[in-house]
Amino acid sequence: MKSRIAVIYKKEVIDNVRDRRALSASVMSILIGPVMALLIIYILGNITADKMDKPLDLPVSGAEYAPSLIQFLTQHDVNIKPVPEDINDSIRNGVSEVVLIIPQTYPESFTDGEPAAVTLVIDSSRTSATTSIRRAQSLLMGYSRQIGNLRLMARGVNPQVTAAITLETLDLATPQSKALLFLISLPMFLVLSLFIGGMAVVIDATAGERERGSLEPLLINPAKRWEIVLGKLLAAVSFTLVSILLSIAAFAAIFNYVPIDQILNIPVSVNWMTFVVIFLNILPLIFFVTILQMLIVAFARSYKEAQTTLAWLPIIPLLPSVALGYISIQSGPSMMLIPTISQQLLILQYLRGETIPVTNPLIAAGFTLLISLGLLIMTIRIYNREKLLSSN
Amino acid sequence: MIETLHLQKKFGDVIALKDVTFNAENGSITGLLGPNGAGKSTTLRSIYGLIQLNSGIAKVDGFNTAEKPLEARQRLGVLPDKRGLYPRLTAWENIQYFGRLHGINGNDLEEKIENLVNLLDMKDFVHRKTKGFSTGQQLKVNLARALVHDPPNILLDEPTNGLDVMSTRTLRDFIRRLSEEGKCVILSTHIMQEVSALCDHIVIISQGQVMADGKPETLLAQSGKSNLEDAFIQIIGSGEGLMR
Repeated sequence: MKSRIAVIYKKEVIDNVRDRRALSASVMSILIGPVMALLIIYILGNITADKMDKPLDLPVSGAEYAPSLIQFLTQHDVNIKPVPEDINDSIRNGVSEVVLIIPQTYPESFTDGEPAAVTLVIDSSRTSATTSIRRAQSLLMGYSRQIGNLRLMARGVNPQVTAAITLETLDLATPQSKALLFLISLPMFLVLSLFIGGMAVVIDATAGERERGSLEPLLINPAKRWEIVLGKLLAAVSFTLVSILLSIAAFAAIFNYVPIDQILNIPVSVNWMTFVVIFLNILPLIFFVTILQMLIVAFARSYKEAQTTLAWLPIIPLLPSVALGYISIQSGPSMMLIPTISQQLLILQYLRGETIPVTNPLIAAGFTLLISLGLLIMTIRIYNREKLLSSN
Repeated sequence: MIETLHLQKKFGDVIALKDVTFNAENGSITGLLGPNGAGKSTTLRSIYGLIQLNSGIAKVDGFNTAEKPLEARQRLGVLPDKRGLYPRLTAWENIQYFGRLHGINGNDLEEKIENLVNLLDMKDFVHRKTKGFSTGQQLKVNLARALVHDPPNILLDEPTNGLDVMSTRTLRDFIRRLSEEGKCVILSTHIMQEVSALCDHIVIISQGQVMADGKPETLLAQSGKSNLEDAFIQIIGSGEGLMR
């Protein structure tokens, strides 16, 4: 009895390992996740990190009207550049990120003690220019404040009277949570590879078996239906397990070899234990996803229908995952009851360095396994129906 | 030995089997003859237990197929209507898989497969993957797969479908040989040639009912005709759906 499950398991593994095309397609899909994560790191890093260290290139028109302002800017690490021929065009095309225009009237207003107008030309929709724009703005405001204070002092007034309040901001975000956009991608891609890993095997072992016409000969063997279901299920679970390990290893490699903390300018405290904990949390989900796929495919009338249905399936757990990045969901015990959502939440919390009640992972694992068992019983029931053969 | 008693099966409102009763003895080839859609495949499926009967009993060597399906299947070798192979496995592995599912292992299994490979003349292709096999090669693998556990009862559903003349002759010799070994063989067909060439017991089925049951000579005598073809038409009422 036990050996019959093993016979089916062994055959499905050998059969599907030989399906090179399906195998390489799933490996590729699984590796897309870590590659995307790498891309996110570098894009985020380019936008924020390196610009603060570099001098700011600032084309200035009419620099000759405001020598002291230009001196102030140069002292604050700004490279004054000649203006491009068409300022608006240059900004719109992203050739220049920000341009300062000092009008002819500047010296007159300045000496009269009136507010002297200067213009910053920017394109606020260009996110890559945000850092340069903010820097230019804060330098100009700084200069304005400095001159204003000097004028007050010249008139015998303490400049402090102009400051009614002083604002200090206390940022409670843990350092890691700043990199949320990057971190959120990890549980998402892990769940995705859960769905991809065993998909080809599930389809081949069920809908494929029927389409080939090999299901009827198989069922004539003296094997109980639950033995057949279990043998095929365990084979698919093995493939999913390997793909999850592959996925986690790829992410671990990224964390290990890519200096994320330097690129993103945030401290990341992730070590190999983190990945072990992530794997342990994912483990019950492997059964859940594979059984769910087997159940759904049991209803499919053809190979093609099975493929289309399963391809759409990961959307359901991934949508809330995307939302998790933007909406803060209270991760109370009730969220722990939903397979895939609970695990994504937990992984995210581990990565953010939050403290998690010990019961939460246990509740999540327990419920996922309980629901999986229910789905397994349903699947075996369907395999016991005589309709199984004549679905077309 | 296979016995069926008043088999009845409905699919929704459609009555597939109205009343099918016949016995198939060991050492004899029983031909289940009838036009397409007469209920031949349904009868065979109820014997190997893949459909549940509405009423009636099918027994294999005394095991009721509804109550003891696993015991019944252990004593059956079946070439079903749908007979797909696993294209990424070799012919040998295809046969081995089914042998193992019957609980045969190791040297015993190797010997049994080797024996069938010789008997069915499969040496040239047995270690090739079955993808792209000809109909004749596929049939041989299918037969070997069905007989690897050396079953005493053999069901063949339209075995010569799509075969060329040479393969058909080889197959017929093989079936005769099985019967000579004392096995109980049932084959379903809508081809009269097959029945007259092979069978020593004929069961004529039409519209889910047994219309006639007996040795060829008995059927001829019953119908008062001089050849089997005329006798069939006389018994069924028309020759529609049958082939010479």
